[in-house]
Amino acid sequence: MKATNKATASSSPKVMRERDMEKVSKAQKAVKIGVQVALYLFLGIMALIVLFPFYWMLVSSVKTMPEYSQSIPTIIPHEWDFQNYVEVFQNEDLLLGQLFANTLFVGVVSTVISLVITVLSAFAFARLEFKGKNLLFAALLATMMIPGELFTITNFQTVHTFGWMNTFTVLIVPFLVSVFYIYLLKQNFQQVPNELYLAAKVDGTTDLKYLWKVMIPLALPTLISITILKMMGSWNSYMWPRLVANDEAHRLITNGLRTAFTSADGVTDVPLQMAAVAVVSAPLFLVFVFLRKYIMKGVSRSGIKG
Amino acid sequence: MEEKNTSFFAKLWHSVSDFFSKRVWQGFCVNILYKKFDRYKGWIYLAPAIVLLMIFTVWPIFNTIRMSLLEGYTSMKAVRGVEFEFGIGNFTRVLKYKGFINCLKNTVLLTVLTVPISTFLALLIAVCLNSIKWFSRALQTIFFLPYVTNSIAIGMVFAAMFNMILGGGARPDFVGVVNIVIEAFGGEYINWMNAGSEYWANIFVMTVYIVWNALPFKILILLGGLQSVNKQYYEAAKVDATPRRRVFTRITIPLLSPMLAYVIITGFIGGFKEYSSIVGVFGDSMGPAGNHYALDTMVGFIYRAIGNQEGTASAAALILFAIILVVTMVNLYVSKKKTHY
Amino acid sequence: MKRILSTLLLLAILTVTVLGTLTSCGGGGGGTGGGVSPDFEMPAGGFDTTTPVTITFYHSMGQGLREILDDAIADFNKIYPNIKVEHQSFGDYDGVRDQVKQEILVGDQPHLAYCYPDHVALYNDANAVQTLDIFMNDATYGYTEEQLKDFVAGWLAEGAAFGDNKMYSLPLSKSTEVLYYNKTYFEKNNLKVPTTWDEMEAVCRQIKAMEGDKCIPLGYDSESNWFITMCEQYNSPYTSATGENFLFDNETNRAFVERFRTWYQEKLVTTKALNSNSYTSNLFTGSATGNAAGTRSYMCIGSTGGTVYQQPKQTDGVYEFEVGVAQIPRIDPSKPKVISQGPSICLFKKDNPQEVLASWLFAKFLTTDINFQAGVSMNNGYCPVIKSVIENAEYKAWLDTAGTSNLQAYGVKAALEHADSYYASPAFLGSSIARDQVGLLLSKCLSETAAKDISAFIKKAFEDAVEECKYQSGQ
Repeated sequence: MKATNKATASSSPKVMRERDMEKVSKAQKAVKIGVQVALYLFLGIMALIVLFPFYWMLVSSVKTMPEYSQSIPTIIPHEWDFQNYVEVFQNEDLLLGQLFANTLFVGVVSTVISLVITVLSAFAFARLEFKGKNLLFAALLATMMIPGELFTITNFQTVHTFGWMNTFTVLIVPFLVSVFYIYLLKQNFQQVPNELYLAAKVDGTTDLKYLWKVMIPLALPTLISITILKMMGSWNSYMWPRLVANDEAHRLITNGLRTAFTSADGVTDVPLQMAAVAVVSAPLFLVFVFLRKYIMKGVSRSGIKG
Repeated sequence: MEEKNTSFFAKLWHSVSDFFSKRVWQGFCVNILYKKFDRYKGWIYLAPAIVLLMIFTVWPIFNTIRMSLLEGYTSMKAVRGVEFEFGIGNFTRVLKYKGFINCLKNTVLLTVLTVPISTFLALLIAVCLNSIKWFSRALQTIFFLPYVTNSIAIGMVFAAMFNMILGGGARPDFVGVVNIVIEAFGGEYINWMNAGSEYWANIFVMTVYIVWNALPFKILILLGGLQSVNKQYYEAAKVDATPRRRVFTRITIPLLSPMLAYVIITGFIGGFKEYSSIVGVFGDSMGPAGNHYALDTMVGFIYRAIGNQEGTASAAALILFAIILVVTMVNLYVSKKKTHY
Repeated sequence: MKRILSTLLLLAILTVTVLGTLTSCGGGGGGTGGGVSPDFEMPAGGFDTTTPVTITFYHSMGQGLREILDDAIADFNKIYPNIKVEHQSFGDYDGVRDQVKQEILVGDQPHLAYCYPDHVALYNDANAVQTLDIFMNDATYGYTEEQLKDFVAGWLAEGAAFGDNKMYSLPLSKSTEVLYYNKTYFEKNNLKVPTTWDEMEAVCRQIKAMEGDKCIPLGYDSESNWFITMCEQYNSPYTSATGENFLFDNETNRAFVERFRTWYQEKLVTTKALNSNSYTSNLFTGSATGNAAGTRSYMCIGSTGGTVYQQPKQTDGVYEFEVGVAQIPRIDPSKPKVISQGPSICLFKKDNPQEVLASWLFAKFLTTDINFQAGVSMNNGYCPVIKSVIENAEYKAWLDTAGTSNLQAYGVKAALEHADSYYASPAFLGSSIARDQVGLLLSKCLSETAAKDISAFIKKAFEDAVEECKYQSGQ
């Protein structure tokens, strides 16, 4: 935008008289400032719209239950009640520490294994030539279009047959392979010039070494973004864990949040829940704020040959 | 290579290979040890992924097709040992059902509304973000924040903003932020989503929310695209004194077109799978009080049918799949014609 | 393009393969790991009190109730030390249902579970529920005559509402609907607590006339309960477990819906759904308004399971107003009909008859143990299902404190008082669909404003609802 402003300012200098040019450049300057102001105004308003829900979550978390259950929501709480936050950590139904530990364990293990599988698959698709490669890749992409809800019933029967109920295995294994991540990484790998691979071959470097030394460092932003997405996935997963591993030893954070504050007749203590959600979301937000760059790089690179 | 190999074994190998230096023999060795292995190497690397996908993705697909073709299939009846007729009864049943047609209508309408709007807005924001000097990073962070949230939770917030509490009198007890703004500009309250509200008001609310929800991802992709656009094109435009609008339509858009295509295609796929955002705003009722399921979508329909009518649910899911496939193909066809690489 | 075309080709091949497999296995049910366990037969030597046996119980109890359950299990183990009871909470009733359903599919259902009648109908679609008649009639292990009489009859009857006169479930703890009213306001304005719907209409108009815009005199929390209870009170058809299932589209029902619609349109009444999905108790207690200008209600028909929410605000230990609890209005004053809700308990078929017998013994214990029944009631305000629970001294003392400060006890007391007016709706696959649909139907008709011919609109809405019920229940 800046560049184009300058471009217009310097248009046809020879034809214009000096006074006119001065006028034009002054006007141009005014327009430029105006444009900048408009840009900031627009972005500012949009930013406020984007931020409002987060404000709401925080505000709800400091409301008392009676205030919350009013059918008229209060924009600013009448009473600031930080007790909810204390309660979150003391709640015996919630066992926040255990939930954090379970979720972290499932998140880390499934991310690591998933990364290995994804890297190997993406490498095969990006670099190796074998019969049926394109057909296989197309078939994988096609599975992405199927609504995921459909898999649930059959998968439940499957894991039950395997005897995986109420284990960490059942939370990790069914979601290790994501076609989307393979696709992301394949696109990324393909941007690495093939000559590098051939040169490595000539040097006698093994595939795995080449992967480790060349491909992975080059694709690091994508790998980091996959890691973050995968961690977010286990942080937010709800339906499947509820079905297959809802005992105390294996319960994950979202399920813990959903069940902990509900009384016998199904009334939920929402402010307490919101406080818990805020506490639980905090790590995610921090990771996001600090690693935003990697997410951007990873995702936008993948888009180039979409 | 030969200079490097100084060890005894290397020397040995050298002499041995010299001995068998005939082309045929060498060709055979390479074929067996290298090419044969190479032909299957890809499959070996893919083995873990393929095994898992077979069990947790491919088999469920088979099972879905199977269930969809068994008329009136429910898993509970299957356990009891009921024999089901083989046929397309589930498909005809679904397609004749009013509720399903309503879901189809809502899904298509919301997709057609939200994909262009969110793409356009995301493009606008991305371009603005790309052309400001200060606070660019802070603003980027803000715009990406919704990326890490739960669409059901935030949907409840949108509900609160559009909400209205109808009291005992003609004037409502309470109106949400949106109506307060409308009133400030001299307008009349609009019943957006409560008992007795109109379909178009409901759709408007959902459009706003879905667009809001879709923005971060699209901004992310488009901004990334803008930042990787080669600056030389703009320099050239500067030299040619091209007007700003022309630069935008003739340089920015064509160079962004792969990202735009990507964003639009994924937007369509996501749009046809719309579900949780509606639950977030309207709750499980998928519609305003007194008019439940008015905004039901295809996935919502499938999701509910899974509980008690697996056969019908499977048929509906396959219909959804077919629709998405066709729409994506059309998208790809169009983008192939229009996209500049 | 090529890629997509080849994908399509692949899919086509896959489909053909599948079709091939299907036709070769004759389109049978297969594919699930489950199967049906046999019907229970009394083992020759009766219950084996020496071999250890483990049974599992699924419920949706919160922390407090789980502690009471643990105490009950300890007492139970004093009688049957070899029965180990494992139990697990699945959050809410639907959570229990989904879990049990999935486990039935793979033949690994629990031994006992919290249930509603429609859950039982669902489980029984897979023939997985153990009927209880064989135990109930057993001289050694069944209930005594005395114990049977001790049950609230209407609640026990719910277990046999499946159209085949077999017993499928036992009531565990129950709630019902009562009319909460603002006693202070009623006394001040010399209003009579309505006992019939005609009186209700009159009182509502009186209150509306006094209070004007900022008042909706009556709130009714559950539209479904309202519709079903009206059917019962009018003795007009609602559903049937046998033959034609959905019978609610009839003249009487359309008439009362149209009548209540005028009430809603005149702002005499509202329901939970029409009150922005917020319990009408919020209007009643004034917690809905947050400011004095908000709409209030002076009567509220709600569940005794949610009595605590009917409690008005307290300042310096004084409640804003006194709450009265009465029976809900009727059509015929001599024939009170009130709905009952709350968990029952059902048994599942298992291969080992000793396990099934053990789970029966546990179910029988929970339904007859005074301490457990009293403990649950005092914890959550649900009604005990046996009348003798009053013999528990602590419970009696608790009931005696009934009043605005102990509304739970007040509600339980009122519920126990009309123990003879409970009815049980027919239970079948689709009974919960009918329940949902009539609730939606009622709120749809009540809130309709655009239709020119309202009777025609209502007629159409009823027809649609029946059609929807039929579709959803797979007919």
